[in-house]
Amino acid sequence: MTGPREKALAAYLEADDILLVLRPGSANAPDIHLAITGDGTVIAFNGHVDLGTGIRTALAQIVAEELDVPFERVSLVLGTTSAAPDQGPTIASETIQITAIPLRQAAATARRHLLARAADRLGTTVDALTVDGGTVHAGSAAIGYGDLVRGRHARVEIDPAIAVKPVADYRLVGTPQPRTDIGPKALGLWTYVHDVRVPGMLHGRVVRPPYVGYDHGEGVGTSLLAVDESSVAHLPGFVAVVAIGDFVGVVAAREEQAVEAARRLKVTWKPQPPRPDLNDVEAALRANPARTRVLKHEGDVERALAAASPAMPRTYVWPYQMHGSIGPSCAVADWRADGLTVWSGTQNPHWMRRDLARLLDMPEEAIVVERHEAAGCYGRNCADDVTADAALLSRAVGAPVRVQLTREEEHGWEPKGAAQVIDVRGGLDLAGGPVAYDFETRYPSNLAPTLALVLTGKLPPVPEVAEMGDRTAIPPYAVGPMRIAVHDMPPLARASWFRGVSAMPNSFAHESYFDELANAAGVDPVEYRLRYLTDPRAVDLVRAVAERAKWRLRTTWGTEGGEGDLLYGRGFAYALYNHGKFPGTPAAWAAWVADVAVNRRTGVVTVTRVTVGQDSGLMINPDGVRHQIHGNVIQSVSRVLKEEVRFTGTGVESLEWGGYPILTFEETPDIDVLLIPRPDEEPRGVGESASVPSAAAIVNAVYDATGLRFRELPLTPDRVLAALQGRQRIEQRIEHRAAVKRKAKRWFGLGVGIAGLAGLAAGGLALAAPFRPAIAPIQRPDPAVFSPASVERGRLVAAAGACAVCHVGPDGVALAGGRAFETPFGTVRATNITPDETNGIGGWSFAAFQRAMRQGIRRDGAHLYPVHPYTSFVNVDDGDLQDLYAYLMTTPAVAAPAPVSALKPPFAVRGLMAAWNALYLRPTTVAVDPLKGEAWNRGAYLVEGLGHCSACHTERNALGAERTGPARLAGGTAEGWDAPAINGTAAGPVGWTEAALYAYLRDGHAADHGSAGGPMAAVVKSLAPLPDADIRAMAVYLASFPGTATPEAAAAARTAALAASEAARADAALVAPEGARLFEGACAACHEADGTLAPLALNSPLHADRPANLIRTILHGAEAPASLAARPGSPAEVMSMPAFAASLTDRQIAALATYLRARFAPGKPAWTDVEAASADARRISSKGG
Amino acid sequence: MSTPPVTLTINGAARSFPLPADTALLYVLRNDCGLNGPKFGCGLGECGACAVLVDGRAVRACTTRLGTLAGRTVTTLEGLATDGEPHPVQRAFTAMQAAQCGYCLNGMIIATVALLARDPAPDEAAIRAALRHHLCRCGTHMEILAAVRLARDDLAVSPTEAARMEPSS
Repeated sequence: MTGPREKALAAYLEADDILLVLRPGSANAPDIHLAITGDGTVIAFNGHVDLGTGIRTALAQIVAEELDVPFERVSLVLGTTSAAPDQGPTIASETIQITAIPLRQAAATARRHLLARAADRLGTTVDALTVDGGTVHAGSAAIGYGDLVRGRHARVEIDPAIAVKPVADYRLVGTPQPRTDIGPKALGLWTYVHDVRVPGMLHGRVVRPPYVGYDHGEGVGTSLLAVDESSVAHLPGFVAVVAIGDFVGVVAAREEQAVEAARRLKVTWKPQPPRPDLNDVEAALRANPARTRVLKHEGDVERALAAASPAMPRTYVWPYQMHGSIGPSCAVADWRADGLTVWSGTQNPHWMRRDLARLLDMPEEAIVVERHEAAGCYGRNCADDVTADAALLSRAVGAPVRVQLTREEEHGWEPKGAAQVIDVRGGLDLAGGPVAYDFETRYPSNLAPTLALVLTGKLPPVPEVAEMGDRTAIPPYAVGPMRIAVHDMPPLARASWFRGVSAMPNSFAHESYFDELANAAGVDPVEYRLRYLTDPRAVDLVRAVAERAKWRLRTTWGTEGGEGDLLYGRGFAYALYNHGKFPGTPAAWAAWVADVAVNRRTGVVTVTRVTVGQDSGLMINPDGVRHQIHGNVIQSVSRVLKEEVRFTGTGVESLEWGGYPILTFEETPDIDVLLIPRPDEEPRGVGESASVPSAAAIVNAVYDATGLRFRELPLTPDRVLAALQGRQRIEQRIEHRAAVKRKAKRWFGLGVGIAGLAGLAAGGLALAAPFRPAIAPIQRPDPAVFSPASVERGRLVAAAGACAVCHVGPDGVALAGGRAFETPFGTVRATNITPDETNGIGGWSFAAFQRAMRQGIRRDGAHLYPVHPYTSFVNVDDGDLQDLYAYLMTTPAVAAPAPVSALKPPFAVRGLMAAWNALYLRPTTVAVDPLKGEAWNRGAYLVEGLGHCSACHTERNALGAERTGPARLAGGTAEGWDAPAINGTAAGPVGWTEAALYAYLRDGHAADHGSAGGPMAAVVKSLAPLPDADIRAMAVYLASFPGTATPEAAAAARTAALAASEAARADAALVAPEGARLFEGACAACHEADGTLAPLALNSPLHADRPANLIRTILHGAEAPASLAARPGSPAEVMSMPAFAASLTDRQIAALATYLRARFAPGKPAWTDVEAASADARRISSKGG
Repeated sequence: MSTPPVTLTINGAARSFPLPADTALLYVLRNDCGLNGPKFGCGLGECGACAVLVDGRAVRACTTRLGTLAGRTVTTLEGLATDGEPHPVQRAFTAMQAAQCGYCLNGMIIATVALLARDPAPDEAAIRAALRHHLCRCGTHMEILAAVRLARDDLAVSPTEAARMEPSS
């Protein structure tokens, strides 16, 4: 048997020395609820699983209490289909309230059985026995449970009528009990499903379709056009591509290999139909067809409403939200001909097994679902989806496969907490009471079938309609005429249950509305509630919480005052969470007093303190209850203040934590928990209740602070500020930043180029022959003829010239050629310069090589394009060229042709380059100035000649030639990146000093500027073998341009730039609120940490005229400075910047760039058209390969 | 593919990996070393679930590539214990029951060890700032903050414990 396995049911049924407490099962085998073994160990079985809430510990307390055994002696088997009973999915806070009942009865049944045996053995009556710590005593005689079990296999059936222990006798239940799992988790010893490893296990990744986060409708399951296996088949470790319907996955030997294969797999999907705009959930939900279910209708609502004074129709809008598990879902599957085992984080192992049986056409009995803990899920996330994915991949390759979803897949595809739109009609009667209550709520959900069933076509993509919109739909207040209706509707985006389910939005409406009624009636909102609350436990709780929070009566907003920009407010809300099928089962009662501070300048709402009371009945583990309340408060504050899923036209847009931010430690409120002691009342579920009053309490507090009533969430700063000040005034407040058209720095406009070059040819201006003679091929020189010293010098020449950067081959094969360079002339491909005679330069004599380097003429006489920087190499010494030749001729030959360039007409005619050369190829030598010293002269040679810096750092003219004069080294482009000015006129706020230039070229990082990125990162790596003296020489030369900074000036500029950026912080968030959130969630972890990165306020790309480099860095990431640094032990940053191309949309990148510019380059004009520039950059990079 | 091995120290032992330089440290730790402390959370350096110490500094293993680590020292959650004794910060997190699902716990503990090593007496603002970019979805913030305070206070009264704050290896 492989992998971690729970002992199966059969093993217990066949064991000796065991007592089993059973119930008739659903299949042939009975369900075991409890087992006691010969050593006195108690094993309790429950079909529910621990989702991180600590029920493993609470259930053990219940069992230990009932049996009178030490807590430590009880272990739990949760969920696994091989042994645990099917008790339905772990949802709705039901574990303690419902599924623990048979367990308690099983323990009591076992106890009765054991006591009867003990009475026999000890020769006394049961009444004379006492039990302590699992040992039965009769006077001085004693016998342990283990002794009573040993020697036989006994089975008893659960007695559902058995008397359980009276609460008054409880010693364990009701007292705080440390959880059994936290210690091992803190040491890294716990096996989450992510940590399951099976011998022979391969790694899988999925490639999801473009309809991100939808599981029904046109195109779902039928959008795949083609999968090109050859795009990944050559990758190391590749095992398989699997495609079934719209299900696509890859399998590889190692995890990172699977990641790479999934990234590079070429998949073609059908164009997607537009879907309803879910960024406007109100319109989308109102347009969605619905079936109306009236839950309650008492009195003549319409007639009562006609008498309302005032009438108060209101609409409340709840956004789509995410469960947001911190660990994306993961599973391992091991498919064999005779059965399937999956290791899964599912909430519902037995349902999962049914889904797998259907997906794979297998009998359920051939499938085992081993349930392991995963990251907290708070409802239905992708745990089931990934389990099915793993099963499909394992079946395809006939080996165990582990599938880990990406962050983007979990965010995009997890079934969302459904949006809701709630209409309330009501108003006041003449006495100020609620005249009627007409409540309609819309809940679009189908509970999200396991995705693979839909993607593979096993389930049709037709939405079912879930009836889950009715949770706590009936308000707790006695209002005469009342009509409560739920519009059950099919999902729009994929949706399923999320903590509090529909009760949280429904209570947002109820409790906001009763606050509005109280305000309109001029009555304190707590007092108003108490007038109409009928449930005595609710009344007790509301009073207790108001008293605990020192609630002061209020009949108008603004009584809490404020200071500075802050306005303070307090809000109240109460709810009883009702779960399960209507009319449902009530869980714990909860009430909140929220204290908020609203910043009227920034719109930021801070929840400073929450006083939360809960009546949970009997609390099994009071510490566990308290922790659940803390968790509910923090998560729901996060949801109310920050959380909203955004959508593109075809799918979910929020794919990471910048686009979907959650509450951080700095935003965490103080929480005061009031636990109402009710030990004699039945225990109530505590997993969700405290979330339910959250939204209304906070919104009511914001009203109390500002007089503004928010009926749509979340309370983001921009939404609050817009309400506080009005959009126009905000825009006036913000310094107007004129859009400045970016200076054109492209090579040239294509039209001019064609006309110009055609003119040259037609006018007979071509002074040079378009075709040059071939130089006869030679046999490849024997590498032995080159002296090792010459080869070694040549290696450094190649390093200084960065030959390998451009002439790289597919998958990084050195010097093999093929890298594409997009130019206005078309795509130019680097050639193979390995010494292969057919495909490379093995047949080139030195004379041919030298001519190519200096004149841009191939051995066969054809012209090269000036992407090959022969205009710089013309300056290279003969000696260096000879050494370079020696080096290249001794490198490994690559017998593969590089792809050919694809030039647009007329540039495909290489002969035209003759005319170009006549105009622009200047065989000048680098200036030599003995007065400037050896370093300067060496630097000039490296910069102007071998290093050919001007090839990128100088703007090109209409014909692609480097400009001269002031434009020289004043900035150009390279593969879409801006190559900034290196002549002392760079755009960054701090001037370049010689020391900074040295650090940048040596380590790829300068503290006042940032890190080398894009093509420059490769150049820095290439320079690594050069001696420090050469790097120093380049720095000396470059620092000799006018405009270079002194260290003192640089330090002053640094201080000023950092101060300006800090001062711009608040305004930048006003300019680009979404960009500010993206920055906080996606970037700040590294860029605002105390690390070794240069502050962004000094970052050159953020100060450039156009956002080209910023966009490319965000899309493609940046290598860690430590991977560029040539100095061992350099303190350079070891973390790389990840590529965000698959995580952020162009729209998000534009929002982020706008914020970054305003925050870190506050003196510079805003960029325009960033979204289009980002889309362009994506297109170019996908073309360039 | 032949790749020159990268040699580094992991939890006190020298280890050598003939893997491509751009292999994420997280996969090396989890899959080659069987160290399950660091967890995959986002792959983007955003959430902190994968944090480890590199030369005593907390970094995110998902965005740290093997090639940058030659000669450096990596300590994971598993490497914090000394002679089988949990690290004081681990003890404090257990004592304060500072986990619900516990998936983020690795990052919280690593960040706290790094914080207390550079600032033995952080105030509340410093603690919250240090944990700002470690995400917890269960809402265990209260218990985590209490654990950090407990670890800080324990270390202040016990110089021997404080000496252990420097990650071993």
